[in-house]
Amino acid sequence: MADEVARILVVDDELGMREGCSKVLSSEGFEVETAADGLAGLELFRKRGNFAVALVDLKMPGMGGLELIEHLRNHDEDVAIFVITAYAAIDTAVEATRRGAYGYIPKPFTPDELVIPVRNGIERRALNIEAKRLREERERRLLELARERSKSSTIINCMADGVIVVNRDRQIVLRNNAATRIIPDFEQVPLSSPLERLGFDPLQKLIDEALAEPSGPVIASNELIIDKSTYMASISPVLEPNGEAAGAVAVLRDISALKKLETAKSMFISMVAHEVKSPLAAIEGQLMAVLSGATKDDREHETALLERALLRAKNLRTMVNDLLNLTAMETGNFTIRRLPINVREPVEAAIDANREKAGDLNITLKLDMPAPVESQVLADRDSIFLILMNLIDNAIKYTRPDGHVLVSFTDNSSYVKIAVKDDGIGMTPEQTDSVFDEFYRVKNEHTVNIPGTGLGLTLVKRLTELHQGSIKIQSEPKKGSTFTLTLPTVG
Amino acid sequence: MTHQPPYLIVVDDDPDFLDLNRRMLEKAGYRVDSFSTVSSAIEAMRADAPDLIVTDLMMESLDSGFAFSEALKSDPELKDVPVIVVTAMTSQRGFDFRPHGEEDLAAMNIDAFFEKPVDYGKLLAKVGEILNRTGG
Repeated sequence: MADEVARILVVDDELGMREGCSKVLSSEGFEVETAADGLAGLELFRKRGNFAVALVDLKMPGMGGLELIEHLRNHDEDVAIFVITAYAAIDTAVEATRRGAYGYIPKPFTPDELVIPVRNGIERRALNIEAKRLREERERRLLELARERSKSSTIINCMADGVIVVNRDRQIVLRNNAATRIIPDFEQVPLSSPLERLGFDPLQKLIDEALAEPSGPVIASNELIIDKSTYMASISPVLEPNGEAAGAVAVLRDISALKKLETAKSMFISMVAHEVKSPLAAIEGQLMAVLSGATKDDREHETALLERALLRAKNLRTMVNDLLNLTAMETGNFTIRRLPINVREPVEAAIDANREKAGDLNITLKLDMPAPVESQVLADRDSIFLILMNLIDNAIKYTRPDGHVLVSFTDNSSYVKIAVKDDGIGMTPEQTDSVFDEFYRVKNEHTVNIPGTGLGLTLVKRLTELHQGSIKIQSEPKKGSTFTLTLPTVG
Repeated sequence: MTHQPPYLIVVDDDPDFLDLNRRMLEKAGYRVDSFSTVSSAIEAMRADAPDLIVTDLMMESLDSGFAFSEALKSDPELKDVPVIVVTAMTSQRGFDFRPHGEEDLAAMNIDAFFEKPVDYGKLLAKVGEILNRTGG
């Protein structure tokens, strides 16, 4: 700022005065602009701006000096304004100062009497500006700090994880909203309370351990159960620059959902293992019986055992296939190619594929299509076939000999409806509710000899969902079941 | 009521094991009836008490095998009927059902425990041993 050439405005109605000032100040290296009256001076000041000093004559026609001073001051609070006048009356000087003048240069004056106050004015103005800048900067910093503080506390309070900070003296010095929510009655405990007031021993123990031996970024983490939820508690030391522990911060993260998933996963694996183990044990038992020679005098029994073993092995393979398909669907690796097709072909193919089995059991398997179905469905042909295969196979399996399985096939402008109805053993409402669950099988005296994987209907349900369709069951024990598949039509 | 030969009841919801166990025990000279549900077995036993029961553990519900043996032990007519458990359900859902000694067997209200698939030599030896002891 000091290197910058200071600009000075001279406003006086006397030409001689303007020229005199201009000459003296220019020779001192200042840049000088002049105006002959108040209005012109104000105009110039407004237009050019950034004057360091203004020299204003009090007595001017039009806008007077006092009025101009006031305007200039309003416009720029830093400019050093000097009054130049022959009327060196005290009261005028006071009034001029009150309105924002900085000093007084009485006429007539020597060049020095002009230059010295002007230099002083420039310097004071620079100091003023610098002081103001520092003040503003300080205020801005304070504001930023305050903002920063409220920002951090807002962030800490908005965290889903519970945060508790304890100082070296084991006093609770900070906690966020989540922490008061997680720990029962924590809200009633005032800040600065000793750690014991936490009222939760396992966490207290962890924090005490952290305070005793502060090392590493996380010194203790443990699963804690609070109010039926599982939390992962991680305690880190709050270290001072010299490495000493100023306290410890505990973070509590709710991992209940993860734990539930973990449990569900191990339950599922355990179920799969059991479902695989049972048929394997049966096959092994049958083979062991044959190999032990127990059946060597009874060829018929031996054949029966081996045939059963083969059936169980086939059933096991179907189950593994179903399981692989289900897993592929879950991980998104199951590809279906949905094309606009008439699902009549896969429906009829599934009926044909089951005809022999139905015939063996003397079960009547019929297709009921009151009107030709022309609607197209956006579907994967093989998936529709698989769905119908499962539904018809189930209907035959759970229908007594001489029973009936009726596949009805209808459509309208918005959907295609395929119903598989049997007059078999039927299900209770509870059984109906569970029938799509993995490995669920209806167990009663009628179902003992019926082989199954417990996955067929789960697969049917998933495949139906992949087609934006729905599957509904109507069932009554001893009366039979109807599975109705509804698929939206194209366009 | 005494039977000559001894009368055994087999309970299992797996039709293959039911069939296999029945045939193997019949081959060894026992008279055998088989049931796929606990309720039908209990009904039959009330009419004609067996000398020994061979049952699976996992039937309609998780613990029906234990509930079955417990029900037997609380029935004055059936409380002395020995029970042999033959099951594949040894560690379902994190539970380990395998007994680790006589104490466990007593706690389970059973006399012997076999894992599927069962070695019929060992099963028949156990059946013979228990029947000898109880004089069945």
